[in-house]
Amino acid sequence: MSEPGFAERLPPSRRVETGAWVSGLTYDRTGRTLGVACGDGRVWCIDTTNDSPPSPPEPAHRGVSLSIIANPSGDSFISGGDDGRLLRHGDAARELESFKGRWFERLAGHTKTATLAAVAGKEIVVYGASGRRVLGPHPSTVADIDFSPDGSRLVAAHYGGVTIHVLKPADAAPRSLEWKGSHVAVRYSPDARFIATGTQDNALHVWRLATGKDMQMSGYPVKVKQLAWSHDARFLFGTATSLFTGWPFAGKGPEGKPPIQFGDEGAGIMTAIAAHAADSFIAAGFDTGEVQVGDSKTRRSAVIKLAGDGQVSALAWSPGGWSLAVGTDQGVVELIDLRR
Amino acid sequence: MSQVPVTVLTGYLGAGKTTLLNRILTENHGRKYAVVINEFGELGIDNDIVVGTDEEIFEMNNGCICCTVRGDLIRVIGGLAKRPGTLDGIIVETTGLADPGPVAQTFFQDDEVRTRTRLDAIVTVVDARHFLLHVDDGVEAREQAAFADVILLNKTDLVSPEELARVEARLRQINPYARLHRTQKSAVALAEILGRHAFDLKRILEIEPDFLEQGHHHLHDHDHEHCDDPTHDHHHDSHHQHLENIGSISLTSDKPIDEQKFQRWISTILREFGTDIFRSKGILDISGASKKYVFQGVHMMMDGDWGNLWKDGESRMSKLVFIGRKLDAEQLRRGFAACATR
Repeated sequence: MSEPGFAERLPPSRRVETGAWVSGLTYDRTGRTLGVACGDGRVWCIDTTNDSPPSPPEPAHRGVSLSIIANPSGDSFISGGDDGRLLRHGDAARELESFKGRWFERLAGHTKTATLAAVAGKEIVVYGASGRRVLGPHPSTVADIDFSPDGSRLVAAHYGGVTIHVLKPADAAPRSLEWKGSHVAVRYSPDARFIATGTQDNALHVWRLATGKDMQMSGYPVKVKQLAWSHDARFLFGTATSLFTGWPFAGKGPEGKPPIQFGDEGAGIMTAIAAHAADSFIAAGFDTGEVQVGDSKTRRSAVIKLAGDGQVSALAWSPGGWSLAVGTDQGVVELIDLRR
Repeated sequence: MSQVPVTVLTGYLGAGKTTLLNRILTENHGRKYAVVINEFGELGIDNDIVVGTDEEIFEMNNGCICCTVRGDLIRVIGGLAKRPGTLDGIIVETTGLADPGPVAQTFFQDDEVRTRTRLDAIVTVVDARHFLLHVDDGVEAREQAAFADVILLNKTDLVSPEELARVEARLRQINPYARLHRTQKSAVALAEILGRHAFDLKRILEIEPDFLEQGHHHLHDHDHEHCDDPTHDHHHDSHHQHLENIGSISLTSDKPIDEQKFQRWISTILREFGTDIFRSKGILDISGASKKYVFQGVHMMMDGDWGNLWKDGESRMSKLVFIGRKLDAEQLRRGFAACATR
């Protein structure tokens, strides 16, 4: 980082200071607005087409705004808080749910089917074309959820494994995939052949859906809290490492093969990761505040944000994939323009 | 990053935990606490945060009981960390029947929790009137007393002096090392239960300056102040054999300890018997070292470091304490004796 002129070679960026822990951020479906959920209950809607500094909004949630996603069936955003409220933002925020004593930490949206899923303790509330449904209760609090690429299924990670819910037809029985221990993150592979989880045991666990056979990748120094499949489903990346570490899933799968590794050894421990939707790029944020963009094809990476501003807590690609939004636990948001 | 101190509050239902929590929340101390409880009760809430949660006990895939954590606590602490401002402390109340192990382990086992918080002390509230009734019902009452750094022997006004003495003697059989406060209506100075640094190696010597000397008071009919036997635990064996199988063992040595032998021995002991060893603590005179070696552990997890210098004229000696279940005093004594420098 001491290389002279390094900062000058960084892509242009815009900085917004929210003053509170960024628990989640995401672009709306047009890419014109960035939604940021913060530890002080605020939900910022930042106009990306206008560089003037946004003024702080009134807190939307009492306590912490825990999560935010783009509204899968319209404009603006859906946010969840530890006040047990699920809000739809727009000209005025509208309350979708209010669960006393619960919290909304995990949300997922599927745009093509216009379906929203929100975890409320051991249950999941789903809003789709056929109305509101409640899935569960699951064996424990649901730690994470993800839609299958076509939106026909929703997978829930919990203690003891994952449950795959069939959303259509609605009466189909859910499928359980078991692995002892607590599963904290879950992601469908983009080709829908695999489901991967990060576990409390500092490992990744992956099920091959056709056979139900599973595999375990262990040895991470801390638990893997975020997962990212490369857009072509060839590699599975996770946080908790100092280098980009991608397990190869093309062909017969990763059994007996080492992962690909690349990046900068000195960046710190990876705390956030997000894959580009249409290209082989993976964005990674570190506990030092540094952000890199790696390429699973060329196995190279570039620093796009220097260390500082706390640890990276959230990353989001713009819908077109030309901009990356970074949030940190010290409340800094950077919108990095990657067109050059 | 400064770590928020966490106090774990255990005790049977009705022992006085809620009364104590109310004191903490309503007392004019100018600090900001978060309280994690099982249910919303009648709690005074000023500028403090009260979080209700359902206990979720998560075992690891390896099945090791010592790696079992409270999943809900990991989430709650993650949420508290996101709030603006700094907390002066987090107080976790457990249910009356809870095993304190998973709660304590969460603060060592989970990397995020470990980064943001530190376990300060385990405080157990005991109902003087009902303890002797509960103590043999199940293991919970004994485990809660065994894990404690601080015991509030509460409701002392509701029992006779003789009964109180019997309860206290029984508590001391289980855990002779905890600070014990006799209380009525859970009235105790908050400094006695918060900010104890009971798991902080640097502070063990400060908090317990007489650790090397104490530990025999509970043996009412013995006086070993000047015992020259380096392994003078012969009496402990007989003392503990006929007791309940949750109890404590202390080992001492006035011969310097060989560091490598000790490390090998203690890691073997904790690996093999960690499930049954709730707490361990020690100060060692390591051969050739000018500083005291201090260590403490919860089940299999152990933490050790060099502490203060031995002072001029201070008699150098070593002492280990184990609190747990089915402890084999003779085996531990022999193993520790073999760690002495020859």
